[in-house]
Amino acid sequence: MSVLELTDVHAGYGPYKALTGVTLSVQSGDAVALLGSNGVGKSTLVRVASGLVPTSQGQVCVLGRDIRGESVHALARRGVVHLPEGVGLFGDLSIEENLLLRLRRVPAPTRRRRLAEALEALGPLGSRRRTKARLLSGGQQRLVAVTGALAAQPTLLLADEPALGLSPAAADEVYAALERVRSTDTTLIIVETRLGRVENLCDRAVVLSSGRVAYDGPTSGAQDVLTGLIQRQPE
Amino acid sequence: MSTLLDVRDVSKSFGGNAVVNHVSLSVEDGSSLGLVGSNGAGKTTLFRLIAGELAVDSGDILFQGRTLPPRADDRARIGIARTFQIVELFGGQTVLDHLLVALQAHQRRQGPWRDLVHGGRTTPEERAACMEILSVVGLDDRAQAPASTLPLGERRAVELARALVCGPRLLLADEPSSGLDGGETAQLISIINRVRRETGLAIVVVDHDLATVEALADHVVAMDAGSVIAHGTFAEVTTNVDVMRSWLGVTP
Amino acid sequence: MSNFLSYTLQSVPWGCTFALVAVGLVLTYRATGVFNFGFGAEAYAAGVIYTELFDHGVNRVWAAVIVVCVVAPVFGAVLEAGLFSRIPVGNTTAKMVTALGVMVVLPSIVQLFPGTGNLQAPFAPFFAPVIPIFQVGSFFINGIELTTVLATMVTLLLLMALLYSKRFGLPMRAAVESPKLLELTGVNSRSVLRSSWMVATMLAGLAGVLFAPVETPVTPTNYSIILVAAIAAAAVGALRSLPLAVVGGVALGMVQGVVQGYIPQTSVWYSALVPSLPFFCLLVLLLVHPGMRTLDQSSDPMMAVEPPPPTPALAQRPPHINRLIHRFRWILAATFALIVITFSPGPWIAALTIGGAYSVIFLSITLITGLAGQLSLAQAAFAGIGAATTAQLTINQHVPALVAAVAGAIVAGGGGWVASLPALRLRGLPVTLLTLCLALLADNLLFPTSWIGGGANGLTVPRPHIFGIDFSDVDSKSFLLLVLAVVLAVSGVVHVLLRGTTGRALAAVHASPVGAASSGVAVRRLTMFVFFLSAAIAGIGGALFAMSFLQESPSDFSWFWGPTFLVIVVTVGATTVEGAIEAGFGYALIAQALTYLPSTGSSSSNAVQSAVTVLVLSFGAFTYASHPEGIVEAAKRGIATTVLRAVPANPFERVGRKNS
Repeated sequence: MSVLELTDVHAGYGPYKALTGVTLSVQSGDAVALLGSNGVGKSTLVRVASGLVPTSQGQVCVLGRDIRGESVHALARRGVVHLPEGVGLFGDLSIEENLLLRLRRVPAPTRRRRLAEALEALGPLGSRRRTKARLLSGGQQRLVAVTGALAAQPTLLLADEPALGLSPAAADEVYAALERVRSTDTTLIIVETRLGRVENLCDRAVVLSSGRVAYDGPTSGAQDVLTGLIQRQPE
Repeated sequence: MSTLLDVRDVSKSFGGNAVVNHVSLSVEDGSSLGLVGSNGAGKTTLFRLIAGELAVDSGDILFQGRTLPPRADDRARIGIARTFQIVELFGGQTVLDHLLVALQAHQRRQGPWRDLVHGGRTTPEERAACMEILSVVGLDDRAQAPASTLPLGERRAVELARALVCGPRLLLADEPSSGLDGGETAQLISIINRVRRETGLAIVVVDHDLATVEALADHVVAMDAGSVIAHGTFAEVTTNVDVMRSWLGVTP
Repeated sequence: MSNFLSYTLQSVPWGCTFALVAVGLVLTYRATGVFNFGFGAEAYAAGVIYTELFDHGVNRVWAAVIVVCVVAPVFGAVLEAGLFSRIPVGNTTAKMVTALGVMVVLPSIVQLFPGTGNLQAPFAPFFAPVIPIFQVGSFFINGIELTTVLATMVTLLLLMALLYSKRFGLPMRAAVESPKLLELTGVNSRSVLRSSWMVATMLAGLAGVLFAPVETPVTPTNYSIILVAAIAAAAVGALRSLPLAVVGGVALGMVQGVVQGYIPQTSVWYSALVPSLPFFCLLVLLLVHPGMRTLDQSSDPMMAVEPPPPTPALAQRPPHINRLIHRFRWILAATFALIVITFSPGPWIAALTIGGAYSVIFLSITLITGLAGQLSLAQAAFAGIGAATTAQLTINQHVPALVAAVAGAIVAGGGGWVASLPALRLRGLPVTLLTLCLALLADNLLFPTSWIGGGANGLTVPRPHIFGIDFSDVDSKSFLLLVLAVVLAVSGVVHVLLRGTTGRALAAVHASPVGAASSGVAVRRLTMFVFFLSAAIAGIGGALFAMSFLQESPSDFSWFWGPTFLVIVVTVGATTVEGAIEAGFGYALIAQALTYLPSTGSSSSNAVQSAVTVLVLSFGAFTYASHPEGIVEAAKRGIATTVLRAVPANPFERVGRKNS
């Protein structure tokens, strides 16, 4: 089943166009790495998929339905979870409250169980459930955000540079958490600038270049394309 | 070589939580130091203490053998420059304006006295000095662009140019490669290294990217939970057992 | 001791009024991210509607229910949809300006309706009116008071339950931080924010209904005073804690009761100290409460997704037109001024003179708001200090008027310098609250004192006497010329600072304080200087204002003019010198034009006129988010661009000569 279907999508911010004709199809259970240099439109693509950025041309279908005119929250209720670039947590809310926000639409008994599971998955952090999120370190915050997103059991998880600004150890932890998704039927799209991080997790790689798809295929073939793109850049 | 920066037994805590705990380190004139460690290890707090954005709880920070003035702007004027993990630019001002603000502040040719008595217009010399730095960082064709419209790589370059325009002795670079892709990081590293060769600038760099730290730093200090846990060359520190566990997440 | 107890207990209901408004402020701030300066105005409108409904035969309880449960939530939804939903989350300045706009505009709108000038409110919706319900010895509590106490308690409990409930409170608290991120978790954040606004205005409505019978007649002044006292109560909990806001309110009431009880009513202190007690408390809390220092410091983690802010409209003039304007502007301006001065009739000369004085006061706002990005509500107070100093020096010390005006400017500048000291550590909302506090203290302590502000009747201010020219006629054209010269000089200074190194450095400080400090910008020195100069300019303006009326009266500089002036300048354009000058003359001339309207000669028609004048020039507060350069300025630039596009390029233009 097709989870995400983009057909000739153009999108951007004001006069600036970040995507210029992207066509992409993601099937259920895929784990896709979205690669490319800064400014090629990777973040814009996932924002289009979660409804945050409107398209100016082309069609976006999520779970077989066109998302034109659909609000961000309605799309989220259909199972699209977008972990935005940066922290992705409410700093003034506690760890527990941040997790609960993700579980709002789950019936009460299941919610309690999933909350307990999520807190357990957080390990030692789980025991500090009443701590405000802004008091945690960057790595801990990202871990809570990822755990919360997974607790929602999304159909499509869009993770925008989940390891940005993290120490190697913290980045590994975040990716280990994302690794757990592979055992469920969640479809995964991860934005990354470094291929090495996603080689094990993703079987498919999409490389963007100036708003278009430059490569779409197995992860193993992406390195050559990326190197080629960097070399072609004018110095 | 003489000691440029001497951090002696500095501590800082927030609400009873020791973020920087009896840290001592020194930077030689013209040398470069890498500062690594996990998120929340106290690296950025240490930078803020050195730059004067925070006051130390205990300990001393000496610069060129003298105690530092208390405020951040005074420290900037005696040669401590800084870039930020999340870029701190002046909103929609043009790239050239960013450099003019820093240059005029450094030359103490800024403020009402200059505007009312000497006229507020930018002199050709000031403009030339800024353009020279801009060409060093490769932004000379962007001088009139509003900084907020530039991509992240160029915004980091603007921050670097703003730091360099006053001819600092010490540059504190907080995660210069964060959010940049491979090409942009390589460019930034080559700019920093070129400036260091030409001016003998000393730097302290915090970064999570191993390649960036290796390319920029002669010596490396590793921190964890507010304390220094290892120091030495890049190879020594990255093979240290504690560092591998806390920062790299590898169990030896 | 029993005296002490009775003073304390007797003032609990009064404290509960503070507490109720404080709770409303805290809830609005926590659930919408807006510090609602308009809360008092909303409560006032509610009080008026409650009274009007009762006067038209509606039962007290039903009138209260209609106001609190129907009118207030609808108004809240309108506020959210029309104004606050259009402001990006991170734009705290726009939020404050918009709230100040509500504060200034709403009472003016209400006063346009006939008969709202002198409303006697009915009793509180519940219980028998003034008969003691409980009585223990000399201590008793009447129906109005009992209603207030009960309403406060019930409101506090309900709101605590609401704010900390998982179902409603969690999204509410999250929406303040980042509506976009909340959307991503599957919550409709627009409807959450709208509900928050509806609850918040319901609280304002409740406060309005309960306060109406306590202080009749129903006037905006009474309501704004309680608003300010409530800010002090809310500050006890750093604008975040509901229970602490209630504790603060009740404590404030008690302290006021005790002070009121022990200080003899005939003492000078009684009239000065008792009303200004809340302002002292607020001042102290602003200075020492660590929580107040970290207000407004959270930023939306989803800021990057927001579309870029609209670029301000720019008049792109063709170079030859630019050069023409550049070459002939002084001649044109001087000719225009001469024609106007020669042919204007007496009343209009007086209006122009007043307009010039306003322009100078408004230029001080250009300096502090347009240049330094701080919203100061004390500019009217600084003008008052300048006027009072000038009056005292000329009358009692026989100092020449112009010298006295300069001395007044320096004294006012000193006040600004004092205000800058705490402002060095604070930014944004706390600074605005601090200036509000200073304005209120000036209003309550300085201006009523006979040897400073001259008391209620004010002081006479002579006009200068130089080179044998007599300026003393009310419609003296030479005095107008003198005022215009001062306007010209002050605007020159402000213009040079705006366009020079100071303006660039201050814009840098405003955009990124740490970034500016790390670049070596002397943040402290520049901030102190701007506060000093701005207050000094306001002082000169105040002196000119008083001279043009030949009279300094404290009511001209009452604290409420601070926000009003700010909103007017922001409407016309706070980032250019022309904006302040246009606002000053515009304000005076519109007021003058309105005197030709048919007048009933009553005091209420005066109030209507002043309300209309304020209304005409303050709607721009509501467009601040999209047009921070001022809505009039934006319109001007838009027109200029359209007109100039129609002008053909000059065929004789020599190529290669660039005008830099």
